[in-house]
Amino acid sequence: MNMKLLLTAVTSLIGTTLFAADAPPVGNAAPDFSLTDAKGKPHSLSQYKGKYVVLEWFNPECPFVKKHYGTGNMQNLQKEYTDKGVVWLTIDSNAPGTQGNLTPEEADRVATSWKTHETALLLDPDGKAGQAYGAKNTPNMVIVNPDGKIIYHGAIDSKATPNPSDIPSSTNYVKAALDQSLAGKSVSTPETKPYGCSVKYKSS
Amino acid sequence: MRLASRVALFSLLFWLLVAIAPHGLAQTYQGKQLVRAELLADTKALVPGKPFTVGLLLRMAPGWHTYWKFSGDAGLPTEMKWKLPPGWKIGEIQWPIPLKTIDPGDIETYGYQDEILLMQEITPPLKLDVSSVQLAAEANWLVCEKICIPGSATLRLDLPVASSSEPANADVFARYRRLVPQNWPGPNVATASWSRVGSELRLKISSEMLAKSPPLDFFPLPEQDTIVGHPAVQSRNNNEIVFRIPLESAPKNLSSIAGLVVFAQQPNGEHRAAWQIARASAAVQTGSSALLSARPAAARGIFTFLLFGFLGGMILNLMPCVLPVISLKIFGFIQQAGQSRQKIFRSGIAFTLGIFAWFIALAVLLIALKGAGRDVTWGGFQFTNPYFVLALSVIVLVFALNLFGVFEIWLPQSVTRSLLSTSERKDYLGSFLQGVFATVLATPCTAPFLGTALGFAFTQSAVIILAMFIAIAAGMSTPYLLLSVQPAWLRLVPRPGPWMIHVKQFMGFLLLATLLFLLYILGAQRGLDGAMWASCFLLVVSIACWMKGAFVSPTATGTKRTIVRVLMLMLVLGSGVYLIGDKFQSAKIASADSRLPGNWQAFTPERLQAELGQGHTVFVDFTAAWCLTCKFNEANVLEAQDVKDAFQRHGIVKLKADWTNGDPAITKLLRQFGRPGVPLYVLYPANNEEPIVFPELLTKSMLLDKLETVAGRVASQY
Repeated sequence: MNMKLLLTAVTSLIGTTLFAADAPPVGNAAPDFSLTDAKGKPHSLSQYKGKYVVLEWFNPECPFVKKHYGTGNMQNLQKEYTDKGVVWLTIDSNAPGTQGNLTPEEADRVATSWKTHETALLLDPDGKAGQAYGAKNTPNMVIVNPDGKIIYHGAIDSKATPNPSDIPSSTNYVKAALDQSLAGKSVSTPETKPYGCSVKYKSS
Repeated sequence: MRLASRVALFSLLFWLLVAIAPHGLAQTYQGKQLVRAELLADTKALVPGKPFTVGLLLRMAPGWHTYWKFSGDAGLPTEMKWKLPPGWKIGEIQWPIPLKTIDPGDIETYGYQDEILLMQEITPPLKLDVSSVQLAAEANWLVCEKICIPGSATLRLDLPVASSSEPANADVFARYRRLVPQNWPGPNVATASWSRVGSELRLKISSEMLAKSPPLDFFPLPEQDTIVGHPAVQSRNNNEIVFRIPLESAPKNLSSIAGLVVFAQQPNGEHRAAWQIARASAAVQTGSSALLSARPAAARGIFTFLLFGFLGGMILNLMPCVLPVISLKIFGFIQQAGQSRQKIFRSGIAFTLGIFAWFIALAVLLIALKGAGRDVTWGGFQFTNPYFVLALSVIVLVFALNLFGVFEIWLPQSVTRSLLSTSERKDYLGSFLQGVFATVLATPCTAPFLGTALGFAFTQSAVIILAMFIAIAAGMSTPYLLLSVQPAWLRLVPRPGPWMIHVKQFMGFLLLATLLFLLYILGAQRGLDGAMWASCFLLVVSIACWMKGAFVSPTATGTKRTIVRVLMLMLVLGSGVYLIGDKFQSAKIASADSRLPGNWQAFTPERLQAELGQGHTVFVDFTAAWCLTCKFNEANVLEAQDVKDAFQRHGIVKLKADWTNGDPAITKLLRQFGRPGVPLYVLYPANNEEPIVFPELLTKSMLLDKLETVAGRVASQY
């Protein structure tokens, strides 16, 4: 047996099992997490079992996030679906000292000044929740169904640009997926490539 | 000292660049300049109709980067929107090889630091009535460090119009042209094969160059409908590397993606090189066995193949199957020598039309069969069918008897009368039919010569198949067209006389030689019995021809002619039903094993797998009885004593895949190697490396050389 080959095989095997930060595939169970909001109140995914949950990765400094908040696009979506009983969790996984990281006070201020309508804005400074979902971008959208299964993972819409004037002509995948599931249909586009800034994780 | 002078030089260069580029625009953020953008051209002046290159030069502040065509997990590719007047053409962006960045959280992105030039080719129209031109483009980019800021600029470039030009910005263009990925090298340098294992693609690259090269990486270029994970090296040894490319979301039948195989002395080094790999065109099979890994057919230019077709068509005129007809045509020219030039010209055109008519009809038939989903292969389409070979034998024999003077061919009077009003037109119809006939006879000679070109055509669209056949027809008819236009050249040929009859009869023997070859094929297909029954039928056909020559003369009475014709018909039909419909039909398909020379085993896919499984190196000879090139290679190379010795010395298993009868398992394998037919020679190394494919014409030195290296390499690994 070729020794070098064996070594390569073994190391690559270990590599994939230990360090993989890949997203759990659509259709699998959504990993549970427990995070606190700006007021220090804890929220876990499991407590919302039985409801549709939207997870939105957030960075108020990112131009792609600003594209959707500056135009009110994101707030409208949040309002429309939370009114229908959907839970909307906005998550900030950026590490302290990086752009987009929010202290509880800053988080509160952003939410108020931007007139957001999420159920809760959660802080994930050590990036555990973000990495569990393989969230690499802001915005990055995940939808979890009442059974706790992931039914959508990807971009917010079809036009990967920071340009707000592209919103009206793009297809909103989150809206489409929620409308289809709430109507009891299966999601026609369950997975897309997210676009945006990278999430600024803590260096390990 | 050196450093200081370099700094001085660089700052000088910087100022020069800024000074000569008044249209550069800067993107600033919180008072800091992040990106400076400008348009450059590689020419000082614009020459109408002459393509030149423009480049978007982006200079990023230290630590900041812009993105490649595929940005990776985050980011956005830079965009160029040109505003060009009508009549101008702009090419795709030529993206230099990017750098790969890995950020915390396993975020991989592909982009450029410090400076990058994104080049595009512009072709101005042929006519320009202005003295200078302003070109404008809107550039959009995303620049990121820890944070990302989108940038945008409308850039302009002024160029004078001149009749000649001098290069400009040569340094910067040269620097980034070096960084544009190279096309995939030829199969002699590197081969790539794809396989799909569940939700992963595997890309295996074999090349002698890998042994010397530094770490390798694969940068993917997925399509819109595909989301890829991070490519990683699955395994690597001396001459081979396997990349694993996880698919997070992809069409079910996706079997390959485009990308770059990147070589770099150090990660993100200055001196990086890359080979561009396109999506495999053919459907690559899933699974990982060596048997199924096929190399995409070499994509030579269409025009090269059309040229091959044309040359092949010209060569056809010298084939023993065609030469007799051609000589008749030339005799026709000689006899016409005294006639008006116009008449000669028209007759030449009619002959040419006959050639075109048959080839176009053949093309249409093939396109129809292909459209109906039939397995169409050249040679195979014709020669694996014994009835086709039999029909061809009959035509060749009848024509030979005609040349010997056993009988004359008269067009039936009724047909002549209804179709033609004047005798002149009859001549033209005769010429046309001669053209058709020459081409029909050419068929047995096409396979060995036009194989490559036709094989290429069959994988293409209907239009290209048609173009290919037209090219062949044009090649075949060119000499006659030239002769019809310039009949004066015929003076080189001796005057008409009795020698023409002797030449004609001699040509008959050439046709009989062709007939022997056809009978050999029939024997290979249906055994000695089959060939014997076919020969009996040919004998009856000869008798019928003799009857026609002896009793159906224009002077014979109508009743006599009718009786003889009915007898001929009964004889041919009766013997056809008995000899062909019954005896020949039931002759067993000849087993290829009986023709196997020593040390060869008959090929089956299972046997190949079994031998490879036991760690043997295997050589497969794809051949057929009717393939002249195969016979030539076998006699001169494969059965030569030193080659046989080499096979034996290295313990290489020899398998013969005999395609005489069109075995479907062999057809499938030929397909996978992108071949329309035989010959094909493949060496499967024991260590499951990429199979080595030899060219159609083998040479001893090439074969011995490969056997030596493969055997040596395999031995060193075990």
